[in-house]
Amino acid sequence: MTHFHFLFAAWMAVWAVFFVYEISVASRVARLREEIERLKQQVREG
Amino acid sequence: MTTARAAAILLAKELRLEFRTRELLTATVVFAVVVVVLFSFAFDPTAAESRRYGPGLLWIAFLFAGSLMLHPSFGREQANQTLDALRMAPISPFAIVLGKMLANLLFLSVAEAILVPVFAVLYNISLAGIVGRLAIVLVLGTLGVVVTGTVFSAISAHARMRELLLPLLLLPILAPLLIAAVEATASLFSERPALDRAWLAFLGGFDIVFLTASWLLSDFLLEE
Amino acid sequence: MKARFGITALVAALLFFAGYAALFIAPEESTMHEIQRVFYFHVALWSAMYTALTIAFVANIAWLATRQPRWDWLGVSAVEVGVVSCTGGLITGVLWGKPAWGIWWTWDARLTTAFLLWLLYIAYLLLRGLLEDPQRRATLSAVFGIFAFLDAPLVYASNRLWRTQHPAPVVFGGDNSGLDPVMGKVLMVCIFALLTVMILLLVDRYRLERMRHEVDELRLAVESGAARPNSAVTKGAI
Repeated sequence: MTHFHFLFAAWMAVWAVFFVYEISVASRVARLREEIERLKQQVREG
Repeated sequence: MTTARAAAILLAKELRLEFRTRELLTATVVFAVVVVVLFSFAFDPTAAESRRYGPGLLWIAFLFAGSLMLHPSFGREQANQTLDALRMAPISPFAIVLGKMLANLLFLSVAEAILVPVFAVLYNISLAGIVGRLAIVLVLGTLGVVVTGTVFSAISAHARMRELLLPLLLLPILAPLLIAAVEATASLFSERPALDRAWLAFLGGFDIVFLTASWLLSDFLLEE
Repeated sequence: MKARFGITALVAALLFFAGYAALFIAPEESTMHEIQRVFYFHVALWSAMYTALTIAFVANIAWLATRQPRWDWLGVSAVEVGVVSCTGGLITGVLWGKPAWGIWWTWDARLTTAFLLWLLYIAYLLLRGLLEDPQRRATLSAVFGIFAFLDAPLVYASNRLWRTQHPAPVVFGGDNSGLDPVMGKVLMVCIFALLTVMILLLVDRYRLERMRHEVDELRLAVESGAARPNSAVTKGAI
């Protein structure tokens, strides 16, 4: 297979680009979910 | 009061303001000259090279100078919050934007009128017989720079790092204008100078698209 | 949560299948052989990008027209996802260009447009980062977003016109001229797969934006709750 490493790199790049972005968004969502719970608690008490 | 009349009055105000000190105009011209001179140190072009790269250098000098000069357009309204006073006047927001666009057009045109002869001398390019047609290209190109630049000045005036932000927003948008203006200028600098209709039409189209967009969106540009 | 996990798994499976199709099902191309298969991901990424940026354009207009926060949330989400897709498109383009034509880059109309869009929308994201007031940030970035979208066809047209006057290697011109039917189907699968991935990312990013808004509202509620004289006294804090 000619130029196999380029093809592989391109396929990996597609996954990497979307995966890294999704992880970054998902982790921020998780952190905010905790923050929202915490703040909701505070509002209930206050 | 009609938009045109209001814009004319605001234009007069901007001109009066600038000609009191002329600092913006002076700084713009000096900066553009410095850019052109620096290019000549970097390249030291032959006659053929001058004709080939000259138009590009000229327009890049205009774009750099323009993006610095456009910032105070709305930037200097921030200091004393004079924009609030303008907003309260019974004029359309587009009149305010248009007034500033026209003022910027004049300022940048004056800077160009000074710069082009300097450039012609430094790069040994003859302007004989093409001055009128060059003026048309310059006006159409400068109009595009000024229309988008004034809008982005209004946008970046509210942001942090506004002096850096304006060129960052403006230069990518102006890429098609740069190509068109450089090509049109190049065809005038060539062995057989000709006014390239296709590129002129493109410049005109660019100006119309963004002027229309500015007109439709100026309410949002100037709101509280 | 369960549904969400199921959907993610489905999209991932779809992406896997698309990759498999591109790498093994599609027939080999005569001139470029294996490396041509990047074409399937490359084109699919561009279509994902254009879809995302069109959604952003519509969202920008909708925000200015209605002032409903969800349009602002959709706008920034679509732009971010568009930039991500564009990044993928540019990377795959470079990885295709070098082995296929021996050059990392060329300034043809399509590539230049894509690169410039990448720069423009990164500028949009930077602009949002530098504007502090939420209302103003939404409005001014919407105006810029509209300008950026209007600029895209102008960039393409100017480069096209320029290139016909100064011909450059036509590297991507002959892709779709007489595409083999199996190749066409594989391309559709890849485009569809990447579109679903893009939409999944868009939904997540939108949710993130909505939650940020919720946090701000809650913080305001906490502050105004603490300001009420009763609360502190009842708790015995004072």
